[in-house]
Amino acid sequence: MIKIEHLKKSYPDVTPLKDVSITINDGDVISVIGPSGAGKSTFLRCINLLEKPDSGDIWIGDERITDPKCSIEKIRRRVGMVFQSFNLFPHLNVIENIMLAPADLLHTDRQEAYDKGMELLQLVGLSQKALSFPEELSGGQKQRVAIARTLAMDPDMILLDEPTSALDPAMVGEVQSVIRDLTKTGRTMMIVTHEMNFARAISNRVFFMDQGGICEDGPPSQIFDNPQNEMTRRFVRRLKVLEIFIDNSELDLAASDMLITRYCFQNGLPAVLKYRIRAVFEELVGQILMPVLEDPKIQFTAEYSGEDNKVELSVRYNGPVFDPKDSENDLSAAMLKSMLYDAHHFAVSEDGYTNNFKCFIRRE
Amino acid sequence: MIHSGKEKNYFMAAGLIVLTAFLVFAGHEHTHASDGKAITSKEQLNHENIRIGVGQGGYAEQVVGKELPKARRVFLVHTDGYQAVAEGKVDAFIFERYALELAIKSGLEGVRLLDENMDETIPVAVGISPVSHIDDLKGKIDSFIDEMKENGTLDDMYDRWVIKNEDEMPEIKPADDPKIHLKIGTTGIVPPFSYYKDQDLCGYDIELAYRFASWLGADLEFRTYDFNGLITAAATGDADLLMSELNVTPEREAALPFSEPLFEIPIGIMVHDSSGTASGSGASFLWKVKTSFEKNFIREGRWKLFLKGVLVTFLITALSMIFGTILGFVLFLWCRNGNRTANAVTGVFGRLIQGMPMVVLLMILYYIVFKEIDIGGVMVSVIAFSMTFGLSVYGLLKVGVGAVDRGQYEAAYALGYSVNRTFFRIILPQALPHVMDSYRSETVTLIKATAIVGYIAVQDLTKVGDIVRARTYEAFFPLIAIAVIYFGLEALFGFAVSRICILFDRKKKMRTGILKGVKLK
Repeated sequence: MIKIEHLKKSYPDVTPLKDVSITINDGDVISVIGPSGAGKSTFLRCINLLEKPDSGDIWIGDERITDPKCSIEKIRRRVGMVFQSFNLFPHLNVIENIMLAPADLLHTDRQEAYDKGMELLQLVGLSQKALSFPEELSGGQKQRVAIARTLAMDPDMILLDEPTSALDPAMVGEVQSVIRDLTKTGRTMMIVTHEMNFARAISNRVFFMDQGGICEDGPPSQIFDNPQNEMTRRFVRRLKVLEIFIDNSELDLAASDMLITRYCFQNGLPAVLKYRIRAVFEELVGQILMPVLEDPKIQFTAEYSGEDNKVELSVRYNGPVFDPKDSENDLSAAMLKSMLYDAHHFAVSEDGYTNNFKCFIRRE
Repeated sequence: MIHSGKEKNYFMAAGLIVLTAFLVFAGHEHTHASDGKAITSKEQLNHENIRIGVGQGGYAEQVVGKELPKARRVFLVHTDGYQAVAEGKVDAFIFERYALELAIKSGLEGVRLLDENMDETIPVAVGISPVSHIDDLKGKIDSFIDEMKENGTLDDMYDRWVIKNEDEMPEIKPADDPKIHLKIGTTGIVPPFSYYKDQDLCGYDIELAYRFASWLGADLEFRTYDFNGLITAAATGDADLLMSELNVTPEREAALPFSEPLFEIPIGIMVHDSSGTASGSGASFLWKVKTSFEKNFIREGRWKLFLKGVLVTFLITALSMIFGTILGFVLFLWCRNGNRTANAVTGVFGRLIQGMPMVVLLMILYYIVFKEIDIGGVMVSVIAFSMTFGLSVYGLLKVGVGAVDRGQYEAAYALGYSVNRTFFRIILPQALPHVMDSYRSETVTLIKATAIVGYIAVQDLTKVGDIVRARTYEAFFPLIAIAVIYFGLEALFGFAVSRICILFDRKKKMRTGILKGVKLK
């Protein structure tokens, strides 16, 4: 069991880990997902102290590895690591790469280390390549050798830091299938990955990390199908979010226009969606809401999902409860109707807003 | 990476051919500063277009300045001076008349002596170390000289060595039960005063040294220096007396005391002579090579001198390589973990050592640092070259280790390797192949750099070349021979380092030979 308490790591300009506390059970297969810069790799590398945490404690079994007196070399022998860039030893051939650490560190007999190494190579399907040098292998083969090298130390736990990110798409599959086989051996594993389907398929737990912390921890069904955390939802649904706030009576249409245009450009929205988001913003905010609100406070949110190419709008505003569809501005209301579907108005009371108007933008 | 041996040999052969061709052509292209007019009188030399070779810091330099003020002076060691006149690089060479006569007698061609001498004569004396451990050395040598003058021994010596050019050392009884250790600084390259015959020093000054040691009741040690190192040697007490046909000049008298003059010697004028058989055109090239070879290597067993020189050069190079490599490693390991003191010390040490010319470093170590502990020139050379070589190795290691990807450290750490084991098992084996080629060229540089150890009384290959040249009055053959021997040494060391390279580069080994202690299935 691994217990992590108040782990913190910071660099002069960024703080990849703010305050992480979590417990990992033996046999857990954990996928760590999250946007770039969320601190996933740092978190993983802290577990075998490749990164030294600034504060906080890590317990592996009964040993507090953050204790300066702890022999980190011994711990690392029990915690294997697979790197994004493989890091095979280029001056040694494949089988020597695998034999080196057991022979050097566990004082395994060389013949024994060789036999075991060949077994592991068979496991990853590369026994033919035993005498090749790393430079002669493809990326996928290299990563499989790296996995075999890690297994040669027979670790209790394996950390995999984006094991397929540096690979050609064609080679991702072979490495993933090796990792999938590994999960069946009962070892504790933790994988940082961007492959959502893979994470869903192999893991029993998923950590969603963002902004230096674990935002959500749950089984894949929860994380991917029913995320409890708004950030998780946006991430797993690959939502691109645009937020525009208006809290004074003057509306700067040109500035808002620029924000929308940039957002659409950055996320590759089709031209028709761009045009309609702008049009909806102008009609809904400019023509309908602004004239009727005395002290306007409006939050305009557009979410574009990379999964199904839909744009969902959510417009929250203050003032009396009022459905824009019932606006006296018939022309604008008609235009909105022609561009939107599934439009619903809710009376709410959150963050100073009293209304929430949700809808989708038509594509055709 | 590693070039094949064959390829390297071709390079060397090509280099030799170019060098030979250059020297041969240079030898035939006589540049006469005197517009081809033969020089017959001293007066002709007093002209702006005339270039006169003189020994640096010697008395002749000042005499020429006074008597031939218009001529341009070119400073040359006398062995080079002979060649310069013979090849017409200078119009005249001014030196002790009897040394010039001996040179011509010994077969120096393309030169002749003017009947006239310079007006002044050179006072020759013994240089005395002001810091010698022997009390009142000046008083002792002066009374010795007085005695020798009175009983006619000095005149007899002068007659035998300088006038008649006999080269037999008389039997001189060494002191019984010597209580004093007398170190004589000499050059071994000024016949008939101090030169090598049958691998032993002899000459007027050498005989004088034996006689003085016997008179004083001292045992005797000769130390041979370059001309430029003589005065320093006496000034620092590395030699007690300088006996090498030393001219007494005001500058030198300011630097150290001299004995009363032994004799006054006339200054002769040697000029270029293009007439007659001077360039030996009658003889075939092969015959010339044969006689040169006989003269420079066989006669008086001079090859033994060369062999000794090669061994000294080899010894200094090999030891410096070993100790330097160790030093480089130690420095690197010390500095590797970012230890501030270590890096600061190494930085200062590196700037200091690499920032000064090798000769200066050598002299500082020999005459200042190891002044009290007399460990000998060879050891000082080894120390000096070990330091510079060590710094080169340190630099190479830094480059090589820096070239290894950061991920290699992480992979090793993640497997459970300690910091030190990671370095030795994973990083170093990858770093070394990166730098072995540079290491090899550093060793070649090292071999060549050792050629300056003559400054501190070490007789290496280059110095032996000077000694032999001083006797045979030839430049071409000894220089080419030395170049060839240096090439040979470089090839030898290069080969040795290449072998070591292969040890480190496991990919170069046979594939099946890689797995030690394992039966393949």
